[in-house]
Amino acid sequence: MSAALSVQNLTAGYDRTMVLRELSLAVNAGQTAVVIGPNGHGKTTLLLAISGLLKPSGGTIEFDGRRIDGTAAEALANRGIVHILQGDGLFPDMTVEENLLLGAFVRGSWRERRTTLRRIYDDLPVVEEKRGQKARTLSGGERRLVGLGRGMMRPARMLLIDEPSLGLAPVAIDAVYTAIRRLKQESGATIVLVEENFTHIGEIADRVHILEAGKIVRSGSFDDVSTDRTVVETYLGAIVEGGG
Amino acid sequence: MTDLVAIIANGIVYGSIYGLVAIGMTLIYGTMRILDMSQGSMVMIGSYVGWWALAVHGVNPVLALLLAFVVAFIFGTATELVSVQPLLGRRNDVDFEMVTFITTFAVAILLTNVALQHYGPFQKNVPPIVHGNLELYNGVSITYHELTMAGLSVALMGALGLFLARTRWGFAIRAVAQDLDAARTLGVPVTRLYPVTMGLASALAGVGGVFLGALYFASPTAGDLPLLLALIVVVLGGLGSLSGTLYAAYLVGLMQAFCEVKIGTTWTLPILYGAILLILVVRPYGLRGTPSETRL
Repeated sequence: MSAALSVQNLTAGYDRTMVLRELSLAVNAGQTAVVIGPNGHGKTTLLLAISGLLKPSGGTIEFDGRRIDGTAAEALANRGIVHILQGDGLFPDMTVEENLLLGAFVRGSWRERRTTLRRIYDDLPVVEEKRGQKARTLSGGERRLVGLGRGMMRPARMLLIDEPSLGLAPVAIDAVYTAIRRLKQESGATIVLVEENFTHIGEIADRVHILEAGKIVRSGSFDDVSTDRTVVETYLGAIVEGGG
Repeated sequence: MTDLVAIIANGIVYGSIYGLVAIGMTLIYGTMRILDMSQGSMVMIGSYVGWWALAVHGVNPVLALLLAFVVAFIFGTATELVSVQPLLGRRNDVDFEMVTFITTFAVAILLTNVALQHYGPFQKNVPPIVHGNLELYNGVSITYHELTMAGLSVALMGALGLFLARTRWGFAIRAVAQDLDAARTLGVPVTRLYPVTMGLASALAGVGGVFLGALYFASPTAGDLPLLLALIVVVLGGLGSLSGTLYAAYLVGLMQAFCEVKIGTTWTLPILYGAILLILVVRPYGLRGTPSETRL
């Protein structure tokens, strides 16, 4: 299988502090790669560099065989890259429905917006209940679902999802991961998802990568990596129960 | 009773035109974080277009207003391309708000001087859009021109509101105001949106200029007072808040009308500024602003 996303020797960061140092990562078409690592080691930076919000200072990123590093985020959005930002990136003073509709901003999707919206409401009834409410009034779990729903408003060829479990109660996390699995099935997109630990990713990860100090230090199947005591204890500090 | 009618009628007329000129500034500040000092020039340009079309060529007033809209839109877009666009890439490295405040101010001075060179310092009379008076109550009357001005201002502000609330690009403008990066990940082309937003705001100011030109004159400095009043209204309303701008516009309009009727024209400005000082000392973030950041 060919790699849909190929990141090579990526160096990126802010001002003069480089967060990613010569990071390389390949994700096969239609597969879900989960990048795990402690806070502050570059997971979010990696996604920002791929989606074009952050200009890398070195290395290359290829998507479907074309260089995309340095291409602006708004252009990549039109090429089917959907980035669900950390903290959801909802527009706080717009309603849930307005937020969702903006997910269909790109040409082509806007025409279909009503049909797509209906489908998302059917998938996520909780979101439909809140359709008229300002995004700022939602709970953390609701916000996350609206963020995911917004990501479903246009056809995705690659989904970048930043710490979907962050700050949520276990029940809410379950709902969010159910939505992600559905998103994965419906879109067939290549997915890069980042999380801080193994707890929730067992069912969706085709491959797991450990990111530490700006580099991928270990890659493998979920079972291989999550049961590798050395990996877990060295990089994540403690073994995590459950998961798979 | 007679005074009350006069105050309310004049207050609404003033408030509407201040609102029209100021709402563009709010739109620009809300979406781009730029206090656009060239908005007064757009009023000036509008009043010259009004003079050129109505007095020189006797064009149909509707066409004159349309022409002012288009010309000011072009000037506004060009102003953005010259004074803001080159700085966008370095937004995080410089004090963007301060630098664009100065660059747009520089454009304003430039435009004033171009007008001075081209048309000379003398005031040009701009005929009213419609002639005649409407008697309201016991000798209190307003001109049809003022009535049209108020009506059209309200209609344009309403249209802007609908545009922002209902259309794809209106959505995009609000989104950019609230979370720039998130808007970009959804495909909103910020680099194209900025000039269009500034053009749109300028177009409203340009239409305001045609009306104001008939109340005062067309001259190179015709935009100075409207700019000052718009600034006051925008800050008083709470920077970036559209509804706050409307409240503030009518508040300032009514206060001005009150002073003119009850106290005397010479006291209008001191009282207006005194009140503004008081309001801002009590609520530094304006009438409808929030202590943190206000956005559209």
